[in-house]
Amino acid sequence: MDIKKAKIRDLRKSLDNKEISAAELCGEYFKRIEEVDSKLLSYITVTKEKALKDAENAQKIIDAGRAEALTGIPLAIKDNICIDGVRTTCASHMLENFVPPYNATVIEKLNEQGYVLLGRASMDEFAMGGSTQTSAFAKTKNPYDLERVPGGSSGGSAAAVAASLAPAALGSDTGGSIRQPSSFCGVTGIKPTYGRVSRYGLVAFASSLDQIGPICNDARDCAIILNAICGHDRHDATSARVDTPDFTEKIGQPINGLKIALPKEFYAEGIDDTVRKCVLDAAKELEKRGATLVECSMPSLKYAIPAYYLIACAEAASNLSRFDGIKYGYRGEGRTFEELIRDSRSKGFGEEVKRRILLGNYALSSGYYDAYYKKALALKQEIIRQYDKIFEQADVILTPTAPTPAYKIGEQDNDPVKMYQADICTVTVNIAKLPAISTTCGYTADKGLPIGMSIIGKRFDEQTILQVADEWEYGFVPLDVEL
Amino acid sequence: MSAYFPTMGLEIHAELLTKSKVFCTCSAEFGGTPNSRCCPVCSGLPGTLPVLNQKAVEYIIKAGYVMNCDISRFTKWDRKNYFYPDLPKAYQISQMPRPVCLSGKVNIKVNGEDKVIRINRIHLEEDAGKLVHDDARHLSYADYNRCGVPLIEIVTEPDFHSADEVIAFIEKIKLLLQYAGICDCKMEQGSIRCDVNISIAPKGSTELGTRTELKNLNSLKAIAKAIEVEIDRQEELLESGERVIQQTRRFNEQLGETTAMRSKEDAHDYRYFPDPDIPPIIFTEEELESIKNSIPELPEQRVERYVNEYGLKKADADIIVGDKKICDFFDEALAVYNNPKAVANYILGELMNRINRGEADMENLKFGGADLAKLVEFMQTDKISQANAKAILREMIENGGSAKDIADRDDLWIKEDNDLLAKVVDEIIANNPKPVEQYKNGDQKVFGFFMGQANKALKGAASPKAIQEYIRKKLSE
Amino acid sequence: MAIELKTIEHLCELSKLDYDEDGMKKVMGEMSDIIDLMDEIKSFDLIYDDTKDGNEIAFKDTREDVAEESFPTEKLLSNAENTDNCYVVPKVVE
Repeated sequence: MDIKKAKIRDLRKSLDNKEISAAELCGEYFKRIEEVDSKLLSYITVTKEKALKDAENAQKIIDAGRAEALTGIPLAIKDNICIDGVRTTCASHMLENFVPPYNATVIEKLNEQGYVLLGRASMDEFAMGGSTQTSAFAKTKNPYDLERVPGGSSGGSAAAVAASLAPAALGSDTGGSIRQPSSFCGVTGIKPTYGRVSRYGLVAFASSLDQIGPICNDARDCAIILNAICGHDRHDATSARVDTPDFTEKIGQPINGLKIALPKEFYAEGIDDTVRKCVLDAAKELEKRGATLVECSMPSLKYAIPAYYLIACAEAASNLSRFDGIKYGYRGEGRTFEELIRDSRSKGFGEEVKRRILLGNYALSSGYYDAYYKKALALKQEIIRQYDKIFEQADVILTPTAPTPAYKIGEQDNDPVKMYQADICTVTVNIAKLPAISTTCGYTADKGLPIGMSIIGKRFDEQTILQVADEWEYGFVPLDVEL
Repeated sequence: MSAYFPTMGLEIHAELLTKSKVFCTCSAEFGGTPNSRCCPVCSGLPGTLPVLNQKAVEYIIKAGYVMNCDISRFTKWDRKNYFYPDLPKAYQISQMPRPVCLSGKVNIKVNGEDKVIRINRIHLEEDAGKLVHDDARHLSYADYNRCGVPLIEIVTEPDFHSADEVIAFIEKIKLLLQYAGICDCKMEQGSIRCDVNISIAPKGSTELGTRTELKNLNSLKAIAKAIEVEIDRQEELLESGERVIQQTRRFNEQLGETTAMRSKEDAHDYRYFPDPDIPPIIFTEEELESIKNSIPELPEQRVERYVNEYGLKKADADIIVGDKKICDFFDEALAVYNNPKAVANYILGELMNRINRGEADMENLKFGGADLAKLVEFMQTDKISQANAKAILREMIENGGSAKDIADRDDLWIKEDNDLLAKVVDEIIANNPKPVEQYKNGDQKVFGFFMGQANKALKGAASPKAIQEYIRKKLSE
Repeated sequence: MAIELKTIEHLCELSKLDYDEDGMKKVMGEMSDIIDLMDEIKSFDLIYDDTKDGNEIAFKDTREDVAEESFPTEKLLSNAENTDNCYVVPKVVE
């Protein structure tokens, strides 16, 4: 069986028709992982033994005719989502040997359907970064060009799906960490509305912004996974008490009359000409297929990067304080508690994580709180207001996912400011708690690097952005990964 | 006479009587082997999230009402960040700018005078764990069973000027919280704890002096003593021209002194900020009204009811209500035998007498109010003599059991044996011609002599009423 | 604006992080650049109103007070240095 770019729904059919067993199917992926991942480095841990057990269990369900959408479907899970008994590192030396004693809610939900775990996808350390190069264990490469970054922080998840080392993966998105690597790797990833998917068991980076979501080969597969993992969770007070629709429902419906807003600031200076043109061409194509394009503005975008980094790092500084070497994680040396904690944290955390902790504590410390943190919260409210205003006249918003295609490994090293500024297209979506999906809208002419566009929706209206992404993907031919 | 006067404010922490912890479903009960009442959430495992306990919120609202506070319609939670091994998340979930309760007041009575203490705020937070130190090995052992037990922190205005006022206030708060059913207020188990902020200033001064904060106060006695020594210490400093440093001081009860823990100069910067894991809460008027209406009868109302409805003396009612255990016992007794005065008299007389002599304590009583009620009823209805009732009570205190069973077993019932009564009394009268003569000459006092003799000889074989009637009859023959 | 050494040292204290001399020099430079970027926010002049975040929940949607069975102690402590069901902590010096 050819698993290259295989869709979940096709695998479903093959499993249900007994063309292939669950064990054989995950075996195909392990074969490919063995062949390719020494070059790609998309996985931190490959869980072959567990997968065979998972597959055996799944096969029983399939044989009993009780298969659900994901029964027997192999998935890669980002290494910051806790799985009972499976090492969960967050790509950090701090958690190199951490084995969670409990399952994240999304894992419980996938288990209920009988999914098969392929392994743990690499990421930027504690999800802090946009290149997967801050990973302590697997600095993932871009499957379209091994000298380039796959994006991040869910770079392992995106690269694995793009290179068919998994049919789909779970990632997490705090400021673009699902969408930007999806864009760099030429796959489709959705960040659901904040509260749509439980965060219980996701090792927190910034609690008010984090959200788990799928990275897949297309929008339809994203909808299938979203169906499985969404819903209110009694373990997460921020998970929303809203109805959970069938996310595949609007897929395939025509987009006639749909209003697509193009906020001009997202197409301004700082965005690569190639990227801008590619996204605007896609907009014109969608117009041809019946949508209406609406011009609009988001004046506060110029403050988005500081607002985002102040909020995210403040929360991160507090969230990461629990790593003290006592209860779990890297235990340094020291004769006193104070010495032990300093040693554990100084040696356990990488440089980018430390910078963000310092920045977060700066924003929160007495004397600076009002000038930075509170100001960032004011901006958050303003950004929400501006989005609300746009959505008064449009159904979805279309923007580039990243200012550039995938860049060369090492290009942004030692320049945190440049690295932060590259998040400009994605962070406001997290700040405003909106859903957004990134899908490939083209490739660079010279090198064939994927370019992604993001479709942003109203809160809890994932259905419409999935519909638009699917409409775009209809007839779009992805460029093959040659690995 | 001192040239200074002290000013104090209190921070009282009280653990709430919820079944589960404030942010997870572990039991909030006291005790347990180390880390047996814990889960990934209260142990601070990565990825876990807090989910707020409704009852804890209901209880702090009740606390607010019984202390006459304003209840916020919008309330939210903040993180207080600091590193300490008894705090697994390295932040305590607490409330900073928007506590549940604001600006209340509580009336106290000190040395016969009424006084109002203003409450600044009451907020909800989580307790920390326990550290056991092993000095020999330079190690500590952390147990998180108490982590996440819900606490309210009551912060008063600096309205206290003597240890008596402080003690009276704490006693009042204990009663209010106990009667409202939201805290058991066991100081020895740490379910209620008190820190005292204390400063002194020259008499007549309108400005407050530099304050210190006293911690580790485990009993009312310790609080009174700590206040006394800290005032003395501050006076000595000022008298010798030195200044008081703003700092936290620990009271050492054995040595009877306070020692500095840390000074404010290197105080923590707690970096409070809104906890993004816990959504703020809004209350509807109906919800607040319904919580307010569910508050049980409070001490003051109860005293009033005992006086007005039961006809108890105010002083007696104060004593009964002043101890929730006794009060519950009293109510339990009345449910069985509705004779408030008799029951109250027996509790305040005979039972309290035993308790004061150390023969019994309310905490570990082997019988309930209902058992005592039966005993009082038997006495009041002439089924058991007073002397035998005492014997029965002693047996109940020692071994428990019901009055009826003990009376049955030890044959202590009044039998109304009229033949025996006649025989005994006749004999007494025959053997004591002189007192008989005195009585007949109008000396009523000797009647008591006959009663005493008869009671002694009859050993409960007849009721006092029957004995009295028979003697009267015989003497007037 | 270059950030002062004493500010960085204070942040390291709050964060419980140590740097050697070279590391400190490097991070000071980086943090100065980062804070310059953050300072852009200072020209924004709206006020934050914490009652208008729209993320509040109703009182009735909080968790019912039911105690459930706790977690196996051994499993909780499985990632920690432990003895007698307790986490082992080096001495705390105040």
